[in-house]
Amino acid sequence: MSTERFLGAVGISRMTVRHGDTAIALGSGDVPVLGTPQVIALAENATITALAEHLDQSETTVGVRVELDHLATSSIGDEVIATATAVESTTRKIVFSVECHSGNHIIAKGLITRVLVDRVSFIAKSAAEALTRGN
Amino acid sequence: MVANVLEVAVAVGDHVMVGQTLLLLESMKMEIPVLVEIAGEIVEIGVSPGDVIQEGDPLVIIDDASDSGGGKDR
Repeated sequence: MSTERFLGAVGISRMTVRHGDTAIALGSGDVPVLGTPQVIALAENATITALAEHLDQSETTVGVRVELDHLATSSIGDEVIATATAVESTTRKIVFSVECHSGNHIIAKGLITRVLVDRVSFIAKSAAEALTRGN
Repeated sequence: MVANVLEVAVAVGDHVMVGQTLLLLESMKMEIPVLVEIAGEIVEIGVSPGDVIQEGDPLVIIDDASDSGGGKDR
């Protein structure tokens, strides 16, 4: 399970801001502009897109770290495009440089780290932990 | 830190005074004016509205020689 093969992978994800994406709808603020949690979700989706064609069926990745500056606001109806590029890999970790743009404005920039895991083992471990807790 | 350049308020050849607005930037969801710290003549503008700038990027070069006998400042 090496992650070097992912270096340079690029992914794109896009959205149009709807009422449900606003800070007030998400509970992350009280203004009707694109909420930061949705910006993070869009950027994470771009990282998933970047890896999609490089993963074996038995593999998946999970997000472990997000460092994102949310620089500018986006309004309902705006289109936002996120791009992610795999810039660093260490054993099982993959670090992505991510940027979100709306028109010619950069609205967010940062780094997202994901970890490569075996899909079945990860789900099994998670289920076992839930059973142990009595969920 | 990254910022969007919203507006360039001066042109090459302008004589600017301390406190005058050079640029309007947008970062961390705020509009941030960049003000003149040393009076002089604008000799170069390195950015345009719509540009994305990083910390350390040169924005405007001001020649303060005619105003104070000094050199160029950014």
